[in-house]
Amino acid sequence: MAAWFGSKDKKASSVLEIERRRFWMEGDDMIVDMSTPFVDHVEEGEDMVINMGPQHPSTHGVLRLELVCDGEIVKKCTPHIGYLHRCFEKHAENLPYPEVIPFCDRMDYMASMNQDLAYCVAVEKLLKPKLPERVEYIRVICCELNRIASHLVALGTFGQDSGAVTPFLWCFRDREKILDLFEWLSGARMLYNYIWIGGVARDLPDGWTEKCTKFLDYFEPKLENLDQLLSFNKIFIERTATVGVVNAEDAIALGLTGPNLRATGMKWDLRRDDRYSIYDRFDFDIPVGSGQHGPLGSCWERYYVRVLECHESIKIIRQAIAGLPQGDVMEAVPKRVKLPKGETYVRTESPKGELGFYIVSDGGHGGEPYRCKGRSPCFSQVSAMDHLCRGVFVADVIMILGSLDVVLGEIDR
Amino acid sequence: MKGYFKDMYEAGRSLSIGLALTARHLFQKTVTMQYPDEKWDLPPMAKGQLHNVVEDCIGCDQCAKVCPVDCITIETIKAPADMDLGKTSTGNPKRLVLLRFDIDMAKCCYCALCTVPCPTECLVMTNSYENSVYDRKDLIYHYAEFSPTQSKRMKVEVEGKLAAEAEAKKKALEAKKAAAAAAPASAAPAPAPKPADGETKE
Repeated sequence: MAAWFGSKDKKASSVLEIERRRFWMEGDDMIVDMSTPFVDHVEEGEDMVINMGPQHPSTHGVLRLELVCDGEIVKKCTPHIGYLHRCFEKHAENLPYPEVIPFCDRMDYMASMNQDLAYCVAVEKLLKPKLPERVEYIRVICCELNRIASHLVALGTFGQDSGAVTPFLWCFRDREKILDLFEWLSGARMLYNYIWIGGVARDLPDGWTEKCTKFLDYFEPKLENLDQLLSFNKIFIERTATVGVVNAEDAIALGLTGPNLRATGMKWDLRRDDRYSIYDRFDFDIPVGSGQHGPLGSCWERYYVRVLECHESIKIIRQAIAGLPQGDVMEAVPKRVKLPKGETYVRTESPKGELGFYIVSDGGHGGEPYRCKGRSPCFSQVSAMDHLCRGVFVADVIMILGSLDVVLGEIDR
Repeated sequence: MKGYFKDMYEAGRSLSIGLALTARHLFQKTVTMQYPDEKWDLPPMAKGQLHNVVEDCIGCDQCAKVCPVDCITIETIKAPADMDLGKTSTGNPKRLVLLRFDIDMAKCCYCALCTVPCPTECLVMTNSYENSVYDRKDLIYHYAEFSPTQSKRMKVEVEGKLAAEAEAKKKALEAKKAAAAAAPASAAPAPAPKPADGETKE
């Protein structure tokens, strides 16, 4: 075995020997999948390895979950990622700062505006342009609209995972209206490239704010409908309120952020606690898990925190539209972005959680970042799968994954 | 036992609320659009197929430089002096022969960054979006006025002309130098460089 690996070191060969024994069990009665040597469980009796994904419709993208099951009970869950890797970080090192934004769009394609905002806020922290007030307000409006759109997808697909198809269709119907607004604004439905460094791509079209207000008026009762149809449905509550429970301490240790952390009762929102952009000017609550239908931090709590966040986003958008000042949105957009030498890390509250960008600039050649690292909230969430899935039924794995609301484009980048 | 019946009651109640809601939706206007038969209106800024109005293109290569995915390929050559390429509709003189202007729509990420620096605003995103083709090669759109063979011929022709021009220029320069060298000897510097000057200007 050692010779096969080309190792001449005696110590190393003994380690390999142990490894070999672990995966190639003595006796031929064990079937072990050699293609997945990451599993460190010890096989006993009737254990079975099930690969859920990467083409499974409930894995929300190309995620492969390797489940070690004892009958119907999951003993271990190992997520395998990387099927959607597109070298975002390496690409960013070879592109000027403004050209990275289309790649940021494609990280979390459910909430492109929030990704763009995070990147632009990070670059602006080094560049220090004097942003016009109007730009800040437009950015907040766009990001909150996109937060609603992203949450609608999360709520709808979570409902569908649990067997409710109608809420899924209704959520997508309402999301379509948000995408129409964005299409009018930026020209694209999902990948906007709208928030630029030092500004936004173009001003709001005439009548956009009126249409946006009209949408909010239309949308608020629809959220009530969603509550009636799905949130307080007894069957749905029974299915989700006791599944995938995580307490606040574990959630922090696992690196859960965003709605998943707030569902455990932690009142932590970077919009309030970090005060990036102009979020300190708006009056909004931070919804946290209430524990009204079971323990805190369950799938239902995670779901319901998102519903409540939609209400809060509506509040913020209404305030932002009311206070929208006049001004030139392209005023502070630099013709050529040249950052001084330095490094920065900015974290923002994306719909999925804490999204951060770490940018190192060496201040020179061609205006490209020396390093551009994205901190993805979904990566931590999918890493928590093992903790959440031990001892649950196979069917519950789908509910837990759906309630965590991961998007694989952001994990693999 | 009491909890059992309470749960059943709760389930029935919440289900009937949801069912009543869906039943009400039966009598509402449908939101589904029968797509190929009816289409929605796109806003004027919609980012669809990338299109180059080649009559206005001056071949400045700025769009290709700014493209994050390098989907625009431009090949130009300097126009010789006797070739008049005219002006664009915005009044900019064209100084480069556009041998090749290819847009690979398979690579394009529809970010519209290329339309921003275009000085003549000839590169635009149209709102046509039904652009699927059967062959991947068909996604490469050629916008130059010449076919690949024509452009090859054109390149050779223009290169020859440019070489001839350069030679003429060199000769003129030499003549000028010679004249300048001869000038102090002959003590008549003024008339000698004049014809040479005229040649270079052409």
